[in-house]
Amino acid sequence: MIDPVTLIHLTIVGAIVGLDFVSFPQAMLSRPLVSATLGGWLCGDTASGLLVGVLLECFALETMPFGASRYPEWGPAAVAAGAMAAVPGNAELVARTLPMAVLCGLCAAMVGGQTLVWLRRFNLSVAERYRDALAAGDATALVSVHWTGMILDFGRAGAVTALFVMVMLPLRAALVDALHTVSGETSLAVVAVLATGVAGGAVWKVVHTARDYVRYLLVGLLAGAAVVVLR
Amino acid sequence: MAIEVYRIDDRLVHGQVVVGWGQPLALGFLVLVDDQVAASDWERDLYRMGVPPEMAVYFESVESALSHLAEYRQLPDPGLLLTGGTATMRSLVERDPAITRVNVGGLHHRAGRSPRLRYVFLDAGEESDLRAIGARGVDVTAQDVPGADPVPLDELLARSGG
Amino acid sequence: MTPPRSLPPGTWLHVFARLFAVQGSYNYEAMIGNGIAYAAEPAFRLLPGGRDGEAYRAAMARHSRYFNAHPYLAALAVGALVRAELEGEQPDRVERFRTACCGPLGAAGDRLVWAGWLPFCSALALLAYGLGASAAGVLFVFVGTYNVGHVALRAWGLRAGYREGLKVASALASPVLRTGPLHVARALAAVAGAALPLVLLRLSGAPLRPFGLALGAAALLAVALTRWQARVDGWRVGVALLLLFFLYSVVR
Repeated sequence: MIDPVTLIHLTIVGAIVGLDFVSFPQAMLSRPLVSATLGGWLCGDTASGLLVGVLLECFALETMPFGASRYPEWGPAAVAAGAMAAVPGNAELVARTLPMAVLCGLCAAMVGGQTLVWLRRFNLSVAERYRDALAAGDATALVSVHWTGMILDFGRAGAVTALFVMVMLPLRAALVDALHTVSGETSLAVVAVLATGVAGGAVWKVVHTARDYVRYLLVGLLAGAAVVVLR
Repeated sequence: MAIEVYRIDDRLVHGQVVVGWGQPLALGFLVLVDDQVAASDWERDLYRMGVPPEMAVYFESVESALSHLAEYRQLPDPGLLLTGGTATMRSLVERDPAITRVNVGGLHHRAGRSPRLRYVFLDAGEESDLRAIGARGVDVTAQDVPGADPVPLDELLARSGG
Repeated sequence: MTPPRSLPPGTWLHVFARLFAVQGSYNYEAMIGNGIAYAAEPAFRLLPGGRDGEAYRAAMARHSRYFNAHPYLAALAVGALVRAELEGEQPDRVERFRTACCGPLGAAGDRLVWAGWLPFCSALALLAYGLGASAAGVLFVFVGTYNVGHVALRAWGLRAGYREGLKVASALASPVLRTGPLHVARALAAVAGAALPLVLLRLSGAPLRPFGLALGAAALLAVALTRWQARVDGWRVGVALLLLFFLYSVVR
């Protein structure tokens, strides 16, 4: 069981990164790299949080938040996934838990994205209540609608973070014994290959329309390979 | 290459078009069909600025588009044709049988329109235009970005609420 | 009415701060329309009659209607619309401008930020991780680099929009917006090319030969995803494959 103080801390951080995603201030604290690291840190294992953050960030490279299109919401999901992977002082267990933490993080991000759709619909119902006042240029009504949206988003993100944490941590506890059949090394390698493969495809999608992109990609690959060999 | 997508979108040139569809399809050009934009210098300038330098954009009225569509279909790169409303697309479909698929990409809220999807709001005239396009055997689907599931016309028109 | 050459500093800061909340009440009808009016409101207080004036109310009503654009480049629209209102532009011209600038501001912002600066900063942070940086170092690289560009873009947008007014197409012709995405994409290609093998190495911690296998498998997956890119999202494929692996490890 998670202790209530840590749950409250995770909920507050989840609410902040969830608010950051769309409503305020879009500083990208909601990216998994940041959110998962914070989740791990709050559970006493920053390194594992960062590990999950890097893996989820590779997947997140593929999703772009275009306008009203539907996309995963990474922040609260990554906070919970970072907390799920945090097992201070037990690297083997962390490695065996990683595929589950990343999988849960990805699924939670989809659920989080759906709650954003619901929030936007609810925002609309709030705006409809003030429709006449807004049409008359009433600034007080506008501020009410706007602040209601942000407060609701903060509450929504906090609630989904708490929910994810309360589902994912007991899930880890229940399943961790069943995961001993695959070594931590293999688990880590599998999830790392999947994540970097998806990231590679995502980067290609973004850059392949740019002139001469192959040359730049090759220069980068050679530089990376040189560092790998020289180490 | 053909014109890959015939899209109805009241925002015309925007991110879902130039990045969302433009990158996976490697679009080389856009054809923007709108009588008002075609006749307005500052609006053409504004829309041109939304298109990446490596992508061409051609502004056409309905009449000029119909006379140039065959040439656009001969261009070496894939392209996307955009109209800001259903009426313009209906005019094109009725006079150009080579259009076999239409994508409803975005018609947003304004007075008189009712929600069908979160990115499609229709009034009675627009609904009738889409039915007329579909009745000609054209495959009409709503889909904002390539990764989203396409919604067939019947399902779109049967829906109410975003 | 002749508008001031630039907004008073207090007003500018007030509008600028509110721009960070431009999507605060995002909904599927007005989109960010309410946010545009919310951000521009401190400047509308400069209209004749102030907050109690007819011009203020009319401007607030006009700008809380439907609007959609990239949230950072919405600053350009807010600057231009404030200028137009302070100049007393005809409402129908302002309305046509609002309609016409949604798409281009969305397209330019999506190319530069969502498909450029953001993945570039992600790749840069991944490179820092691959090179052995600590958690604090990785986060500093990502959040720091990203927000230098983010805040600068919003500030430039507000200034340029106010300076150009409805002739904002010339601001959109800025090299940062026109050719910037191309340069960022090239930089992304180079940085990601270096970062991904290093990330894989640090993650798997494997000696060189199994690392070669892992790199080959990742490259194969990446190539397959690029082939199917119009049909499937890579992250959905990732979910499916992870689920299979997870089930395998549980039932084995």
